Amino acid sequence: MSTSKPHRPLSRRTVLRSLALTAAVPPLQACAPAARPTPTPAAVPTSQVVQTGVLRAPEPNPKRGGTLRVAVGVTTAHFDIHQGAATHVLCHMYNNLVRWNLADGLRSIIPDLAQRWEISADKLVYTFYLRDGVKFHDGTPFSAEDVVATFRQIIWPPQGIVSPNRELFAMVDKVEAVDRLTVRFTLKEPRAYFLELLADPSSVIYSKKTLDENGQDLRRVIAPGSGAFIFKEHKQAERWVFERNPNYWDPELPYIDRMEWLHVPAWSDRGTAVLTGQADLSWNVSRETWEEGQRRKDIVQVNTLPNFGAYAVLFNTRKKPFDDPRVRRAIHLAVSRQDLIKAFQTQEWINLTRWIPYGDKFATPPEQIARLPGYRPDKSEDIATARRLLAEAGYADGIRGVDFLSASVAPHAEIMAPAFQDQLKRTLNIETRIRVTERALLGDEQQKGNFDIVLDTPGHILSDISPLANTYWKTGGSRNWGGYSNADFDRILRQYDTETDEQKRKQLADQLQDLLDQDPPWYLIGFTFHLPMWRNYVKGLALDKRAFAQWGRIETVWLDK
Amino acid sequence: MYKYILSRVLAAVPTIIGITILIFLAMRVLPGDPVAMIASEGQGTYRLTAEELRRARASLGLDRPYHEQYLKWMGDVLRGDLGTSFWRGEPIRDVILRRAPITAQIALMAVVLSWLIGVPVGLFSALRRDTLLDYILRGGVTIFMAVPSFWIGLTFVLISVLVFTWRPPLTIVYFWDNPWLNLQITIGPALALGLSLGAVTARMVRSSALEVLHEDYVRTARAKGLPERQVVWRHVFRNALLPVVTLSGLAFGGLLGGSVAVERAFGVPGLGLALVQALNERDWTMIQNMVLLYGLIFTAVNLLVDLSYGWLDPRIRHQ
Repeated sequence: MSTSKPHRPLSRRTVLRSLALTAAVPPLQACAPAARPTPTPAAVPTSQVVQTGVLRAPEPNPKRGGTLRVAVGVTTAHFDIHQGAATHVLCHMYNNLVRWNLADGLRSIIPDLAQRWEISADKLVYTFYLRDGVKFHDGTPFSAEDVVATFRQIIWPPQGIVSPNRELFAMVDKVEAVDRLTVRFTLKEPRAYFLELLADPSSVIYSKKTLDENGQDLRRVIAPGSGAFIFKEHKQAERWVFERNPNYWDPELPYIDRMEWLHVPAWSDRGTAVLTGQADLSWNVSRETWEEGQRRKDIVQVNTLPNFGAYAVLFNTRKKPFDDPRVRRAIHLAVSRQDLIKAFQTQEWINLTRWIPYGDKFATPPEQIARLPGYRPDKSEDIATARRLLAEAGYADGIRGVDFLSASVAPHAEIMAPAFQDQLKRTLNIETRIRVTERALLGDEQQKGNFDIVLDTPGHILSDISPLANTYWKTGGSRNWGGYSNADFDRILRQYDTETDEQKRKQLADQLQDLLDQDPPWYLIGFTFHLPMWRNYVKGLALDKRAFAQWGRIETVWLDK
Repeated sequence: MYKYILSRVLAAVPTIIGITILIFLAMRVLPGDPVAMIASEGQGTYRLTAEELRRARASLGLDRPYHEQYLKWMGDVLRGDLGTSFWRGEPIRDVILRRAPITAQIALMAVVLSWLIGVPVGLFSALRRDTLLDYILRGGVTIFMAVPSFWIGLTFVLISVLVFTWRPPLTIVYFWDNPWLNLQITIGPALALGLSLGAVTARMVRSSALEVLHEDYVRTARAKGLPERQVVWRHVFRNALLPVVTLSGLAFGGLLGGSVAVERAFGVPGLGLALVQALNERDWTMIQNMVLLYGLIFTAVNLLVDLSYGWLDPRIRHQ
């Protein structure tokens, strides 16, 4: 396939557009008209579990060889994935027990180091039968002991080891090696998304030997994995290089010989890198370069993928007036999500969503959301109801002196926070005072309760509502710093957590979302999209039909050139 | 002359000490520290407890009194140990050694480009004073003096991407490894910086040349029948260039500072981009040592300019 670069003639319009793009400053961007394509949510995954699946490229006869160059914005402070190191680059050296299937766009979970597994009738015991003959890159044979050591580090870390995913696995009672190639997880109570947790790129398997040799702390060690790629070179904040593992347990994979992960911090630089062929793929590029990519179908492809991070204004429900659900509901109804999304469109692509992001099977369909009070575009009825609610709460004349905390990063402090402030003032006569703080200190300020409302970007690694709800909205949740408490919500969440029947779970998820609409802990602006772009010759990843934005391993990638 | 050199070198010492104190205090006064930044990694999914934060700060020596931290830093610097990055654990010396050649090359190329652009433009403008050509050149000079280098850089990048579907490579390639690739990386930033400096140079050359053109010795040269070309080359050009040498020397230090924004605009992995990233990550050791490096270069260049004055003008030397 030809990949020659067509040169477009220099037109006056092109130059003017270039100059306009360069000169645009955030306050102007906030006022930009909404002449953009409407985001279309991707189809939801089926969460199908395929016990006999084998990972292969979706296309027939993939070509072998070549180097894939990926532009990536994420850096990592250390190399221990279980202690929170960024997985985007590191995960390629490792395997999980199970994994999302790349070939069907992450719509099913298939075997990885576990060849197959059994789940007990009460969904409390998961028994995994492991592959024989797998070796780590340093030659150490893989066994059930490695799985046990890995999950002990995650779930019950020793003193001094910080495991950010510990809370996610709190339902696990025991992890045992039954024999050399069998491992058993016993749960205290069932979790429907347990396999999804194991398939996440952060649940990679380390070797027991490496963990023991380093006192369970791999922050300064690039630990050998069992994955399809071997670590070759790392230049800090510049690039990572991986080479094909010639002894990979699946002899068919990987198809390419080498991967270079180039650190490109700016979103627009990542976009231009793919557009100009300096990189072959980027998971998330800037909106402008993404739109240029949409026009350049001859060289690149783009997609919009639901992400599990949201923009939201969190209420401090321990303080007046936000201790009153009527005030929170009034804001939920009156402030226009469509206008906020439009104001922010040059920065990040936010979806009109409810409390479950698109990409999850229980997400409310967009056409249904667009009819709901608070979410519908026509605000006249919602604003009237909101003003009535405020009056009932004793704030008929509005509210003064609200402390509105925001991170100092320009898109938050200079676009989203002022846009929200303006909406509150215009629709409900609520006057806020924006106070900015360093992004790193935003959590500390919230923990101390030093805010009335705060603009934040909460999110989770899973689309399922349970982890987010347990962390942020359950009474006493570890990041429920606004003190939100709703007994009905807690009760339904408890039922949802332990329910395994899909129909019942769907009903409970709907109830949870309805409750959050009625008694909102946040003003949810919406979950975001990621904007991947890739050269036309990048195959094997089914990126055009991917269900959600999870940027993990890519051993089925091949280059059609 | 030796006394003059010694006095200028000694005068540079308090400047450098002042720089170290300023940057050290600035880092401590700003909210947030490297531990807070590292702890917030993961966009809300990764938080350390207060006790874990305290222990992390203690292990990095951030809980010690400021004067102790400052003296330890100074002691390390004097021993040639620039420490390691808080955020990445990489020796800062390695970062500087890997990235400095690119930044220095860009600054050097920018100075050369500023001469190639500024000197002929300034000279033509002076020789054709108050003609249409002079007005056009002066207009161009004013525009490039007013427009910041990073804006010029961003415009280059956008036009090259949108029109020519091209952008410079993203990795570090040294000139001695692959000159062609290296020039692709460095020419854009050098041109963006060189155009701004070239405009300043042109203005300087023009006013300097106009001054020289009115000197008695130029009138004498013309009166004795020298051809105009020789008058310009032998008498006007050489004398008008003296202030340009001084300007370029001082500008070299400024270019290193200016490269921060331009490297960011082009995505060139030089020292400037490393400094921007270190600022974002509150990587104190990295910021302190890189600002110290910039300060040292700037002071050294100023010193050289001072010394060149002494060399060029005996009146200063003998003061």
